[in-house]
Amino acid sequence: MEIIMKTSYTYILFTATLLAASGLFSSCEKVSPQGVLLGNTSVDDRVKQSMLFYTYHGDDMDWYLVDSIEEYSFLVGSDSHITFDPGRLSEMMQTGIENDDLFYCHLGDLADTKPEYYYNTKLALYDAKRMWKSKYLRPLIDEYHSEADGVYIDDRVIKEWKNNCRVWDDWNLPFYPVVGNHDITHNGWTLFCDQFKTSFYEFTVKVGGQYDRFIFLDSANGTLGNYQIDKIEDNAFHNDGKEIRNTFVFTHTNIFRPSLNEFASTYCREELYYILNKLSEWNTTIMFYGHVHAWDDRYFGECPNGKMVRHITMPSMNFVDHPNGGDDLLVRVTVKKDGSCQVDRIGLHCKERTKQELDELGYYTKTK
Amino acid sequence: MKSLQRILLSLLLMSATGTALAQYYSGEHTYDGENQNEASASVTTGKNIITGPCIGNTVHYKHYFNDHWSVDGGLNAQYTKQLYGFKAKGEYHFKVKSFHMFASAELLYNRYFKYKTNEIDGNISIRFERGYWDITLGETLINYTIGESGYTELPTLTFGAHATLKPRTNDWNVGLLFRNYDDFYYENWNINWGLDGYYRLNPNWKLFCEFNIRPAGSMSQLASKYETTGKVGVIYRWK
Repeated sequence: MEIIMKTSYTYILFTATLLAASGLFSSCEKVSPQGVLLGNTSVDDRVKQSMLFYTYHGDDMDWYLVDSIEEYSFLVGSDSHITFDPGRLSEMMQTGIENDDLFYCHLGDLADTKPEYYYNTKLALYDAKRMWKSKYLRPLIDEYHSEADGVYIDDRVIKEWKNNCRVWDDWNLPFYPVVGNHDITHNGWTLFCDQFKTSFYEFTVKVGGQYDRFIFLDSANGTLGNYQIDKIEDNAFHNDGKEIRNTFVFTHTNIFRPSLNEFASTYCREELYYILNKLSEWNTTIMFYGHVHAWDDRYFGECPNGKMVRHITMPSMNFVDHPNGGDDLLVRVTVKKDGSCQVDRIGLHCKERTKQELDELGYYTKTK
Repeated sequence: MKSLQRILLSLLLMSATGTALAQYYSGEHTYDGENQNEASASVTTGKNIITGPCIGNTVHYKHYFNDHWSVDGGLNAQYTKQLYGFKAKGEYHFKVKSFHMFASAELLYNRYFKYKTNEIDGNISIRFERGYWDITLGETLINYTIGESGYTELPTLTFGAHATLKPRTNDWNVGLLFRNYDDFYYENWNINWGLDGYYRLNPNWKLFCEFNIRPAGSMSQLASKYETTGKVGVIYRWK
């Protein structure tokens, strides 16, 4: 009898395990439960692809401020989770363009992984690109002379005038995202890559004789992965010899946990300590994170230059978390003449539009 | 080269077993009312994406005062990771109907030399144990310091589940494990999973092994390769 009881226990346990496993392996639309045990996309593959892109286009990303300009700003947003209405992203871009921010950064989870949502994201960014070009490139194109070896895209910035950038459509919107886990959960890397090309890159902004360095790391999987770490250790971005004034780093997965309501970091222990050490080694001014949809601002880690690394975890800007918007969903960093940085929190207030309104604007709104 | 690695591994295992001190076998109540001391040693080897190939030893010693109270301590030396740690744990065993229950408190210190990091973890847990399975639930506080900067993470849930093919009294066993901790670390939301097993040589000696997959990013739903390890060891108990 005892043997029968024990055998029954075993079968009950086995059945329960099978049921749990079948639950795990059945995916719903926005989440990928099986990914809790085994993810379906590799950070190493993404970074290899990104490095190939960087090899050919990395230099095109650098910015050179004209000598008379000593101060500039950039805008940072996070976790827009675009589905049908990309209104908050559009508002972010409009805010940045109206304020003359030099560029715009996004900390990942730009769109939930579906081709339709990426389509809406693409439309919103296309509108922003048109707005940006009208403001900054139209005067340039009107006055363009073919013998120029550089080009002023507005009264602050000079970009190298590459042969492959002479066509209007080749000018990219200065929008720099990192990839988030929801961007790629259902094999969405193809969608992300099609639009943004790279998940691991770096550029510099030259101010006078010094450089501010902007590093974008791929941590969507909760790890940088073997290959990316190798590249970091190999100093893949070749900034040797440049006098770096500030370093800003952007990634999706957080290290610090804002409160008990949010998930803790998903980096494993050694990697977490590796990243914190690396940020100090880089003399990082500010490290930006997304992922947990909540604000956290703290200093941790001493740098060789004697300063502390500032870690900012950003709130989300999506309609689900903030249906009525908020006064503090974005961050604007103003880098001043002396290299010091001012961090201001900026609001987003637009409300989610109806499907009818979105239909009229050409966005995809069908649920099936 | 492979032969050399095998010889090296064998020597390390022999040296570890030769100086056997401790390792209690997770999820098993081994007090038999007679043997009050238990010691074990193990060797762990595998690959970590940050530190590359890894190899190390752990040793444990456990003392049972009676059927209720026990204490144990352990040392961990991961040579290629340059990670060294020790821990102390107290446990209280009681029965509720047919459940064996274990309430424990643990203090763990880790020094990550490579990353100049000191880590102190405090854990309280309760383990429910039956013949074929056990479940652990608890809370862990993790504090780390790098240079002059320190941070105490908010309390994080500790959980573990372990099921075996045979009852615990059997002379051999294999099991399946899911948990967010190991003998010498606590993770936040990364779920380790793997297989373990043992073979009892005689009432005093037992061999054990474990294959452990430690991913990163479990709760990002994109669990990725972080560390894979194999552990083999031996347990000895005496009066």
